[in-house]
Amino acid sequence: MRTLHVASATLGIACLTACASQPASHAHADRGQAAYESNCLACHQADGTGVRGFQPALVGSDWVRGDPKVLATFVLTGGFDSAGRKLSANENVMPPFSHLDDATLAAALTYVRMKFGDQASAVSAEEVAAARAQLPPAH
Amino acid sequence: MTLIRIAAFLFACSLPAASFAADSDGLVLPRGFTATVVHDGVGLARHIAIRDNGDLYVTTHQFAFLGFDARKRVGIVALRDSNGDHLPDVVEHFSDLDGTGIAIYKGMLYVSDDVGVYRYRFDGNELLPKQPAETVVGGFPAERTHADKTFTFDNDGHLYVNVGAPSNSCQEQDRAQGSMGQNPCPLLEHYGGIWRFDADRINQTPKDGTRYSTGMRNTIALAWNNDVNALYATIHGRDQLDTIFPKLFTADDNAERVAEEFQRIVEGGDYGWPYAYYDTKLKARVVAPEYGGDGKKRAEAGKYPEPLVAFPAHWAPDDMVFYAGKNFPASYAGGAFIAFHGSWNRAPRPQAGYRVAFVPMKNGTPSGEWQTFADNFTGGALPDNNPNKARTRPVGLAVDSAGALYIVDSEKGRIWRVTYGGS
Repeated sequence: MRTLHVASATLGIACLTACASQPASHAHADRGQAAYESNCLACHQADGTGVRGFQPALVGSDWVRGDPKVLATFVLTGGFDSAGRKLSANENVMPPFSHLDDATLAAALTYVRMKFGDQASAVSAEEVAAARAQLPPAH
Repeated sequence: MTLIRIAAFLFACSLPAASFAADSDGLVLPRGFTATVVHDGVGLARHIAIRDNGDLYVTTHQFAFLGFDARKRVGIVALRDSNGDHLPDVVEHFSDLDGTGIAIYKGMLYVSDDVGVYRYRFDGNELLPKQPAETVVGGFPAERTHADKTFTFDNDGHLYVNVGAPSNSCQEQDRAQGSMGQNPCPLLEHYGGIWRFDADRINQTPKDGTRYSTGMRNTIALAWNNDVNALYATIHGRDQLDTIFPKLFTADDNAERVAEEFQRIVEGGDYGWPYAYYDTKLKARVVAPEYGGDGKKRAEAGKYPEPLVAFPAHWAPDDMVFYAGKNFPASYAGGAFIAFHGSWNRAPRPQAGYRVAFVPMKNGTPSGEWQTFADNFTGGALPDNNPNKARTRPVGLAVDSAGALYIVDSEKGRIWRVTYGGS
């Protein structure tokens, strides 16, 4: 009896947590998908494999799966790191996406990492803000 | 100069079965035409040239070679048919060229990559040239965008080279949202047009050329029209109206409006890039948004030539040839075949293009509506709407001495020979 009570209590907490967070994460994911579709999809395509010879694949990209702050810096600057070094060069340049606000960019990057980055962790608006605060000169 | 012999293996793997001819390998052609696979896949192919003796030469791009060691460059693929069945039984490759342009001129094989035009001489009937390449024009700046130096020749000893602009629309910051156009666009001094060189002289540099025409973003498909002794081209229009100016344009506008322009190229002509583009719906040239346009504002009247044909946006015309052969019906005489490689920048709308079109011509002017000549290269709708997943994509064209049209695919390097009347 006692065991059962503990179990149901645990279950109840788990459910509470899940039920409370579910709508929020769905909204986050939807916002991320919308941000991807209006900013990234034209080049990287719906399936994230890019276009050979023009734009690189996000699927399999170490930047996509790696440190969220490095990724945020990469996208804010259009392919640079925080020291101002160009990290990637493809046939078509990636423009900087510094015009996107922290939350929108965080949602887009979270979507990209979930969908094309082996379920890599979510990116928070705070992480994007931190990257934005330390952009290299001229960005 | 590396020389890699792979003939036996390649051919053993790729001899087309007879059934290919019966159904044209899935290609859809006008009644009476048949496509035969003459090679199943030579690699990441681009353009094709045919020597007087019937030998085929195909350029490749990006090193990887399907079914072979991807670390080895494929260079130029040479194919010879020894028994007259038009199915090559000797397939070799040579050179480390990574590029697109290729043509036979005065018996020599001219080729190009991103930074130059080169040529190989033949001593006799050999398939592979024995001498190293000579540089015809060298030293173009290495660029990543629109870098292919495709070319053609006139009948008066001139070489015409496409020098594409390393930019989408000459913005201050390429492809960045809201970034305005540089005015005047400084790229036009050395890019974004056709430069003319001496076709017979070696070791020329870009400054030995003269700018023949300007305002051309990228013009991979060039051909000389012998009927009227003039240069023709199909120009790639600009990308990303909606992502650069989301308040002015929708994804549909971007997917549909900016024409790929079939043009007669005149000396001194200005075809409008980056200041204006031709709108397929308004049927008018309008000011680019980077230069104050709003999708409606017309460009200065008479400043830029009207296209002979305004093809749909983003179809990517990558080669063209005027038909002077005898095999096809008379209605094809003098008309232009254009290979559309197919779009990437129509997403999220369905990608399109991926076909060989035909423009009937009389005296250098279209004499009727353009038609789709060869279709279904993709084998139906693209999976995930992604060009990478196309079965094949047409990219290169040439006509042989019998009047058959060769079509080259970029994905596998498949080569088809299209004939009329089952010959």
